[in-house]
Amino acid sequence: MLEKILPTDIYDILKNKVNLKSINEIRLRADKPIVLAIGSQKIFLGTYGVTGNLKEAVTASKIMIEDIIFRASECSIYSVNEQLKRGYLVTKGGIRLGIGGDLIEEAGKVKTMTNFTSLNIRLPHEVKNCSLSAFNYLLYDKGIYNTLVISPPGAGKTTFLRDFVYQLSERNYAYNVLILDERGELDLGDDGNIGNFADKICFARKALGFENGIRSLSPNLIVTDELGQKEDIDAVEYAVNSGVSILASVHSDSMESFTKKPNFEKLIKEKVFKRYVLLSMRNGPGTLEGIYNENFTRLQ
Amino acid sequence: MKYLFLAIMAGICIYIGFMFSRKYKTRADFFQALVLLCQKFDVEINYSRERLKNIFNGLDEKQKSKLHGIDNNFISFINKETPLERDFLFKNIKFLKEEEKDVIFMFFKSLGRSDVDSQSKEIKNFQARFETLSSSAAVENKKFGSLSIKLGIISGLVIVVLLI
Repeated sequence: MLEKILPTDIYDILKNKVNLKSINEIRLRADKPIVLAIGSQKIFLGTYGVTGNLKEAVTASKIMIEDIIFRASECSIYSVNEQLKRGYLVTKGGIRLGIGGDLIEEAGKVKTMTNFTSLNIRLPHEVKNCSLSAFNYLLYDKGIYNTLVISPPGAGKTTFLRDFVYQLSERNYAYNVLILDERGELDLGDDGNIGNFADKICFARKALGFENGIRSLSPNLIVTDELGQKEDIDAVEYAVNSGVSILASVHSDSMESFTKKPNFEKLIKEKVFKRYVLLSMRNGPGTLEGIYNENFTRLQ
Repeated sequence: MKYLFLAIMAGICIYIGFMFSRKYKTRADFFQALVLLCQKFDVEINYSRERLKNIFNGLDEKQKSKLHGIDNNFISFINKETPLERDFLFKNIKFLKEEEKDVIFMFFKSLGRSDVDSQSKEIKNFQARFETLSSSAAVENKKFGSLSIKLGIISGLVIVVLLI
């Protein structure tokens, strides 16, 4: 998919002179050098590969950014306007473009985004077995604990969730899994494997997706990314009260800062989540910092 | 031998008349197909947010044939096989005037570039321009289409009479 959205000259450099699989992010800012995030390192993209020399760096232009967004929308910006309004766009295959530009408001509501000036292209990677070190802690004899994966952005939450679903299937745990993919990042399409027991609802708000999914697909486990809003929390409560397990993720860099996040007090107090998995970037994305129980006691 | 030559001359004149007539009909059909394309876009974009490539692929064969490959040339651009260039878009199209090509090229350049409301308005504007072009092409076709065939036949006959 990347070759379809990037300008040919940029893609050729990435393909031939940089290891594409090592890149986590490509950042483009109008009239600024293109920056690659490789692991926890930030480095410029030069004509001959990566470079630390600003003078050798390839510069992004506004037209280039607009063209990438146009291409990522399959040449149909109008079809992705709801995503643009929220500042991102997800392509087939789960490549997520975070977009900076001018938000146009009308009667107090965001109408669209125009005048694109920056772009953060996040490349998903399937990291097989990355959830294995936590796997057994999240299961018990009757099913799967309600689990929250906590990590800062880009530290492997989504990859963990995806691999966990795959591992369940690989180990013949025939749980009906519903992947509620609000932003289209969990499903990598042909490039990813989510096993044989997973159903998907894509691009729906969590509240709507949880309700419809539980009614129509009778899942044992709902997997969803990035809880945050009050209505997400309500959706989780609705699912738990319906007897469905939850595996979700949230942005935070430590257990301490997580407990201070708004909207989560009730879930913490009522011990809805029985397991917390903390990830970091310390040794690269997906570093397992610890597994905690509902009382925040460290299990591993 | 002389009669064979006369028959060939008459045939050539009728053929030229027929070709002129066909050009007028092709133009009328082409602009009418563009108007229908605009209508289809407007509906698909407003109600199903269907992507451009799917809209083009969903056109029926009859309408596709009237577009004379302009749809496939645009799909090549969508597939990133070629840049969106005026000459490439109108490859194989010889019956359009330069100013008409300008309008049509602007239309294709604007496709997929904005949100639903703006795109819909743009499409309606272009539809209005295509309707005007379609009406003039239909009038031309009515006026000169059959006239061309008649002139072809008459000039063929005149040549035959003169040479006999």
